[in-house]
Amino acid sequence: MRLFDGQRAWVVQRISALLLLVLAVLALPFASPLDFSAWRAFAGGVLGGPLIALLFGALCAHAWVGLRDIVLDYIQPRGLRLAVLSLIAVVLLGVLVRVLLSLAAAALST
Amino acid sequence: MDRHPRRLPVFLKLAQIRFPIGAIASIAHRVSGVLLFIALPVVAVLLDTSLRDEAGFASVRDLISSPLAVVAAGVLVWALVHHVLAGIRHLLMDVGIGGELERARASARLVLIAAPALAVFLLFWGLS
Repeated sequence: MRLFDGQRAWVVQRISALLLLVLAVLALPFASPLDFSAWRAFAGGVLGGPLIALLFGALCAHAWVGLRDIVLDYIQPRGLRLAVLSLIAVVLLGVLVRVLLSLAAAALST
Repeated sequence: MDRHPRRLPVFLKLAQIRFPIGAIASIAHRVSGVLLFIALPVVAVLLDTSLRDEAGFASVRDLISSPLAVVAAGVLVWALVHHVLAGIRHLLMDVGIGGELERARASARLVLIAAPALAVFLLFWGLS
């Protein structure tokens, strides 16, 4: 099953890890208190929006591979394994959709 | 899932399993990853609320500076720092740095000590 392919998962995990590291390092100098309008202008802007979307995209891909590894290691019954993996996928997709909707709303309101 | 023709070896006598320092760093990497996953939906909701309007922004700002949130943030900051440091350790090993037993043990010890220390520092830095 492609879903459980090991090598591709390994590559996705490493690339997303590097991406998250780079984004975290880029974000550090800006870790200062903002006011609301500056924050929404950033998140709704042409730079901030795609960067935050990329951050959460990489985060969800990374979390999927890591949690999948943990589930495959510790949960053996096939039904339970599928149920837990499905739950994780739903949560991650929900997070991604929610963030994209928030960013779109912020972009439309600025 | 069942692509392996033979049963995989399983050894789960918990009292007999030894936990060398590398295993502790590794299991903490997993635990911290799971903690960060649990926090992820909360972070997504906080992001949404903070972008919604002025009142939402203020409520998120107040929430993340409340005493209870500081404890939760402490755990999550440790999880984040440990996960990043242990992750960098793994990435370095991927490219062939620090894979030898002695250096791997030393870096595992370094990650386990540096993560809580850095977390405490970041927490106080964030509060001040």
